[in-house]
This record gives sequence, C-alpha cells and structure tokens, in this order.
Amino acid sequence: MTTETIERRRIIAERAPAIRRPRRRYRDTRLAYLMLAPVVVLLGIFVVWPAVYAGFLSFQDWSFYKDPEFVGWRNYVNVVTDPLFLATIGRGFVFVLMTVPIMLVLAFLFASLVVSVSRRFATVLKVGIYIPTIISAVIASIIFVLIYNYSGGLLNAGLAMVGLDPVAWIGDPAWALVAVAVPAIWLGMGLTSLIMVAAMVDIPGEYYEAAAMEGADWWQKTVYITIPQMKNVFLYLLITGFVAAIQQFELPLVMTQGGPLDSTTLPNLFIFNHFRNDVNVGYSIAAALLLFVVLGSVSAIVFKFVNSERLVD
Amino acid sequence: MRTNATRTRRAVLAAVGVATAVGLLAGCGSSTPGEAAGGGGGSDGKTTVQFWHRTFTPVENEWYDDIIKKFNASQDKITVVGTEVPADAWDQKMKAAQAAGKAPDVYTFSASIHDAVGAGQLYDLGKVIDKSKLDEIIDAAKPIAQLDGTYYTYPLLLEPQTVLFWNKDLVSAAGVDAEKGPTTWAELMAACAKIQPTLKSGQYCISPAADAVTFAWSTVGQQYNFSGHTALTDDWTAPNIDDPGYRDLMAQYKELWDKGYMPKQALAAYVEGKDFGEGKVAYKVSGSWMMSEIGSDFPDLLGKTGIGAFPNAPGADGRSATTLGNFRWVIDAKSKNPEAAGQFIEWALAGDPQLLVPFFTGTQFTKVPVRASVQDAVAADDGASKAPWSRIIVDEIVPKAIPEPAYPWDVSLAVGTAMESVMKGAASPDDAIRTADEAIKKVISRDGLPEKAPKK
Repeated sequence: MTTETIERRRIIAERAPAIRRPRRRYRDTRLAYLMLAPVVVLLGIFVVWPAVYAGFLSFQDWSFYKDPEFVGWRNYVNVVTDPLFLATIGRGFVFVLMTVPIMLVLAFLFASLVVSVSRRFATVLKVGIYIPTIISAVIASIIFVLIYNYSGGLLNAGLAMVGLDPVAWIGDPAWALVAVAVPAIWLGMGLTSLIMVAAMVDIPGEYYEAAAMEGADWWQKTVYITIPQMKNVFLYLLITGFVAAIQQFELPLVMTQGGPLDSTTLPNLFIFNHFRNDVNVGYSIAAALLLFVVLGSVSAIVFKFVNSERLVD
Repeated sequence: MRTNATRTRRAVLAAVGVATAVGLLAGCGSSTPGEAAGGGGGSDGKTTVQFWHRTFTPVENEWYDDIIKKFNASQDKITVVGTEVPADAWDQKMKAAQAAGKAPDVYTFSASIHDAVGAGQLYDLGKVIDKSKLDEIIDAAKPIAQLDGTYYTYPLLLEPQTVLFWNKDLVSAAGVDAEKGPTTWAELMAACAKIQPTLKSGQYCISPAADAVTFAWSTVGQQYNFSGHTALTDDWTAPNIDDPGYRDLMAQYKELWDKGYMPKQALAAYVEGKDFGEGKVAYKVSGSWMMSEIGSDFPDLLGKTGIGAFPNAPGADGRSATTLGNFRWVIDAKSKNPEAAGQFIEWALAGDPQLLVPFFTGTQFTKVPVRASVQDAVAADDGASKAPWSRIIVDEIVPKAIPEPAYPWDVSLAVGTAMESVMKGAASPDDAIRTADEAIKKVISRDGLPEKAPKK
C-alpha cells in the first residue's frame, strides 16, 4: 500500500462523515418537519389565523349577518373609555393579589412538610393535595355555592353554632371576591405544591448537611438554601399563577355570574358577557386583544425584574 | 438490512405523522350542530328544517317534542329536527353557530326584536306565512312580533314577568289577609312588619329580585309604575331616570333590605320557585310561570298559594307594574329553507288551536296565548275552572302589562346596577342615578340610539 493510497484513504475517511452527516441531518430534518406538521398546521388554523382574523375584526362592526364594516379604532376607544372594563382589569389584579401570594406560601409550607416526613406519609399528602386539581372547576363552584348558601349553607350553619348572624358570602360585594378566591386557591394548590415538592427534592442534600454542620436552623436553611435554589420555580409559578388568576372565568361565572354589583366580574367574564349579549362582536374582540396586551406586558415586566438564572451547583 | 429497517421505521413514522395531521383536521371538520343536513335536502328528497328550542319545564319540553313529531307525521315533504338546548348554554351555542354561519332555521327567541332586526338576524315572516295568520296575533303581542309593520317573529305565549305569590299559611299565621295580596308598597311593608316576627330563623317575608341583572329586566314594569315612563326618553336621545319615581322605587327596595324583610343573599333565582316551595319565604316575586313549577314540584302547595298583581307605587294611577315576557319563534335570516321553516311555524303556532291547548293547560294556565281562538280553546278546557289564578293572570294582570323595552340591554343593566347599589347601600340614590345616567348616555352615543328610536 503506497503512501499516496494511505493518504487518500485517510482523506476519504475524514471526508466521509462530513459527506454523510449533512445527508443524515437532511433526512432527520425532513422527518422532524413531518412530525411537527400536525402541530404547526393546527396552531396555524386554531391560533395564528384566528389571532390575525381577530385583529382584523377588531376594527370592524360585525354582527354575523351583515358584511363587516370598517370602523377604525372605535371599538378600542369604546373599550378603553369604558369604566367597567378598566374596573374589571383592576379587579383582576386584586384577585391575583388575593390568590397567588397565598397559594405560593401555602404550597411552599406544604412542600416543606412533604419533604420532611416519611416516604409513605409524603405519598398520602401528595395524593391528598392533588385531588382538587382533578376536580372540575364547575363542580368545585357548585360545591362552594352550597357551602356559601345563605340559609342552610355549611359556613353559615357553623357561624350559627357560635351565635353569629349569617353572612351573605356571595351576595355581599364586600365578601364575594374573597368567596371566589378561596376555591381558586383550593383548586390551584395541588399542582403548585407538587411542582414545589419536585424542586425541593432536586436541591442537593449536601447543602443542608453542610449547613447543619455549621449549626444552621430550619429557618436559615430555608432562607439561604431552599428559597434561592427554587428561584426559577417561583418565577414559573408566579407567571403561570398570575395568568391563570387574572383569566379566572368558571368560578365567578357559576358562583356569582359576576355579581353582586360586578364585584366578581373578572376580565374574561366581562368579555364573555359582552360576547353573549352584544349584537356586534367588535367590542368583545377589541377587549380580548387589549387583555392579551395587558397580560403580555405584565409577564414581560415580571421577567424583566425577576430574571431566571442557571442554578450554580 | 439495518438500512431497510431504518427506512421502514422512518416511513412508518412519517405515515403516522401525516395520518395524525389528516385525522386531526378531519376531526375538526366533523358535523356541526345546526347545519342543515345535506344542505337542507335529505337523501329521501325531504327538506330538513333544524329547530332549536330551550330547555323549559318538563311539560313544555314534552310539548315541543310532541309538536315536532306531529308536524313530521302530518306531511311527507319536510322533516323538522328538534334540538333541546339547555337555557344556560343557549347564548354561547347560538353565538358559535351564528359565527360559523350555521344557525338553525327556526329557533325560540326572547331578545329585543329591535336589535335583532338591526343586525339583520331575522327573516321577514310575511314572505312565508299567510298574512291572515299573522293578523290573528293579538294587539298586546304585536310590539314583540313586528317592527314598522313587518312581522319577524311569531309569539307562542305572553307571560307577566312580575307577579306576587304568597304562602297563605305563613301569611294568615301572622294575621294578614291571605285571600288578597297587598295592592300597594305601603301594604306590603305593613304585612312584612307583621309577618317577619312570626317567622323562624332562615325564613323571610319576601324574596324579590335582588341583583343588577334581574333588576334590569324584571323591574321595567315597576319603573313605569313609579314614574310613568321607562329609562329612555321617547326619542331615545337621553336617559330618563333622574326623577322622584325612580328614587322612590329604589328607596322601597332599600327598606326591604335594611329591615331584613328579604334575605341578604338570594335563596333561589328570581325565575324559580324553590325558596317559595320550601316554605322559606312568605311572599315571592317571580314571573307567572312560577305557578307551573309549584304545580309540578310542590303540588301540596298549589292550593295554599295566593297570586296577585305586584304592589303599586303611591301614585301609580292604574299603571301596570309588570312587563310581558314572551317566547317567540323566528326564522334565521341565513336559513336555506325559509319556506319550509315558515310552513312549520304556520302549522304549529298559527294553525289548529287544539295543537296549542296542551301547552297552556300543561303549564297550569299561567301563560297567555297570542291568538283569541287559542285563548277561547284554552278557557274551554275542563282544567281552567280548577285554576282560579288563570283568571287573575289573564283578566287582571296581562291587559295592563306593558311590553318589554325595545332599547338595548345595557340601558336596562345600568338601571339594574343603580337599583342594586342603592338597595345594598353601596351608593346613595343621587350617586347611583348619576352613574347610571352616564352609562346610559354612553350607550346612546355608542349605539347611535336616536337614529334607531321606534317610529311613533
């Protein structure tokens, strides 16, 4: 075998993967596109096109029976100058403040409990906390309406036992939003807690051992190890909790229909009521798109101020 | 071999991917409710008419099923396909169908004819139903059936939306006349002052409308009773609620609230009689339809239930305190088979009066037919003599009742919100009326109401 032959073979051997790799990549890419096709097509049909069409319709007056009529920014002006819409956005933020912080704190405490008990008891706790998550929000609403019933409800029966007058939990504007927030927290606790448990289990045990050797107590371990290590999880739960809370719809729809005095009319219910009642749909679509802008902006602001970071092992 | 196996696997994966996409998309295009089968023509050459009706009381639902069966059996050219839609899902289901251009050919309708005609939603019934049949509709029902002389709906019934019911046992136990209801608000307050101390914990003197939405539609008659007009000026150019009548009406509800005569949280919806049936309230305000619910769900209470016109304002001067609710049948403007749909409506609602008698007898004579011939046929029924409330509804309440307002819902809702605000002490009458005034002005300009005002 001559040197030239050896050299040629070496070159071929070196080039061969270089030649084969793009071909293999090309074939995989095609398969990847094929596999992605169903999702892309469905997203295109059910998300992208409706969003573009909604943008178009938000500038029209359309009643389903007549051709859309261009009205410029009128629908948007009607929405942003409607004190009821502005009030409903403000109420959405109040509802977020009522639910998300409490849910995060409770879920954190629950997760702390789960990781500190025996494996068998932890399983029982996890199953117990997750059950509300798989209950339909509509069913939960009906259960809570029965609990809040003015005459014969569980809660007022309890108050009567200690000699207190019944409270109009979902009939009094001062209480109604709180009454809706309670089942919202109850329903959201399961998933939040399990995600926190998973994050806590993932924190290396060495950190706690080292801290214990330094004489750190539970509080110090929590403040200096657990919470910093869970920062990304908190950020995720904060954003998803915020979006879920401000978009809450079924609970007020079933429990209070937005009343009393609009005190539980959250943004999506407001838009839904307009969609149901209005002859023209332009207002509802403009309101929905504006809500989208509000949600997107707040999420962006949260990400801006609470940057996600790679954990340092 | 390995290469072949890989190729085969890729081919299978690709096929699965494509099949999934196709399958999902095919799933998306599955049959849509409300779509006329085969574009309206069945495989047997019959024309198909889709008919959506709400879920009402069991006897009404049976009547709807029955009338469809009878129509289909009466001829062999048209098939009516009925769909019963739960009342709470109606709006969203109908909106979704309309958005897809697939609303049913015929459906029940209770909204403002003015808005629907303005939106181009309703078909002109005069094109498919004989004029003599449309002329049979009594005067009280004409405002909800036609607009500017063109008929767009055929009413099935009229029913007062604000009627006072009372539990004779609870009322007489307090020494109040159980055979005759209070005729004025002052009498009602006096009765409650006597009744409330005799009630047990969890029982209340009265269960009236108590939330903005219910106030909005159920108190329009009371607004007229107190002030002599409703929420807009006749030419629809301005709100018309800043007067002593509206203030006085709000004050009456506030008194009921403050004195604890009514529960602080509704025990049952306004439209249902559960709280009354369970003996939790002495008086109940609801529509006349509640009597049929008492008859079916609380039959023992039927003989102990008093019924009368809603109490009047001090200066009511004979004005009614109720609007006339209704259910009408309409043909969708986009129907592909308006002639067949018209034949169905004409046969069912404008044809043989005996077809309609079971509807009115089954609902305990609490609703009023819109044709004199049907009224006579119902009155001739044996059961009529056993339903004394029927005379009160037909002779005393309906003749004076006013039609539902033609102006947009948001106007009514602004008034309803003001009433609830004042009643619950969330706003003073002045502030509540000022807020409602502003809201109504916004609707007037937003919807261009002066141009849409009914012609006199």
